[in-house]
Amino acid sequence: MALPQSLRTSVTPLELELIASEQLVEIVPLITMEKTAFISGAYGPLRPPAKCRIPLWMATNLKLKKKCHIVPPEWLSADFLQERLARETSRPEFSKLPLRFAEIAKVILDVASDDVQNADKIKSLLKDLREARQAKSRDGLQKLDHSELSLPNLCSMEINEIRPFFIQAMGILTQLVREPPAE
Amino acid sequence: MENDYFSIDAILAENQKIQCTFKVDIPDMGHLAGGSDHDIKSLTKAPIPIWLAYIMLFSDWADFTIPAPFGTRVRNALKAEPRSVKLSNLVGAGGLWYGFGKMIMDILSEEQANGISEVLTKAFKGRLLEVIDQAQHFAALGPAGGGGPSADSAQSFREGLDGTERELFALAQESAKRMKRWHEGNDKARR
Repeated sequence: MALPQSLRTSVTPLELELIASEQLVEIVPLITMEKTAFISGAYGPLRPPAKCRIPLWMATNLKLKKKCHIVPPEWLSADFLQERLARETSRPEFSKLPLRFAEIAKVILDVASDDVQNADKIKSLLKDLREARQAKSRDGLQKLDHSELSLPNLCSMEINEIRPFFIQAMGILTQLVREPPAE
Repeated sequence: MENDYFSIDAILAENQKIQCTFKVDIPDMGHLAGGSDHDIKSLTKAPIPIWLAYIMLFSDWADFTIPAPFGTRVRNALKAEPRSVKLSNLVGAGGLWYGFGKMIMDILSEEQANGISEVLTKAFKGRLLEVIDQAQHFAALGPAGGGGPSADSAQSFREGLDGTERELFALAQESAKRMKRWHEGNDKARR
């Protein structure tokens, strides 16, 4: 294959971001638009100031043209993340977060940080959260064996980060471990 | 590491030599052992590359001794501290200690093979965390390079990485770098 080694085993963060952009978010539109059909479905109509659910990619597009405000999902708040961070640091297992929280949070904070309360605080909380979780997946590495590894509640971005070398390491272990002959 | 016909790693690992003792006389082949004798006498010892050793061992023409990279000395060192053993020094160019071990394991009888397998597995697991840690550390540092109080031992660990571990190191580093780039980039302009 002509793809570089790193691209063969996993997708890039940008590709994940693209996938996450299909998820619906709430917006407060500033323009009027009739219900419009897209390949992924029909969205709208937009009638300010009524809230509306549209895909994230459309929301970012409108936001950059200053035609809407994005309403951040309820988990993207300082209180919620603070609570998750406390849980993350006090318990051994991963705490439950939306599967694509990293991607969505980054997109929203990138384009619409003025719509998010305490954006800076949230940014630093997300960073702490990420580091706490990274430390846990590092512990998971210690428990690695050749047949399985269970890390429940790991999010798509984190799975994607550890996937290339976890798979490789498990592949090597499969070669090194001798199974007892089947009875 | 797999014994695939097209695997370059397997070919490199097969190039390692193991010490064989001939059980039978082999006439007219003395030049292969490098001596001036005309025949290879039984009980002569000669280092034979693994790809050739297979057929000689299975045909019962020779015996082999477990090579030094998997001998007691190395095993004891690995038992004491897997991270302080320089695996790349144990095997020659290419440095595929695990691949070599896997091949030896496949030739050996059940009991001995299990022993080797345990040594390999323990060594791999013991070193894995350090490999990944360092890879992520270096990805975070960027091209400027390391430093700090533990730099010496870390560097000597990196020099001792075997080919298989190197590959892992590169994978982990690349992955961590990509994540870092993504997290730090603010690509408003792209949209």
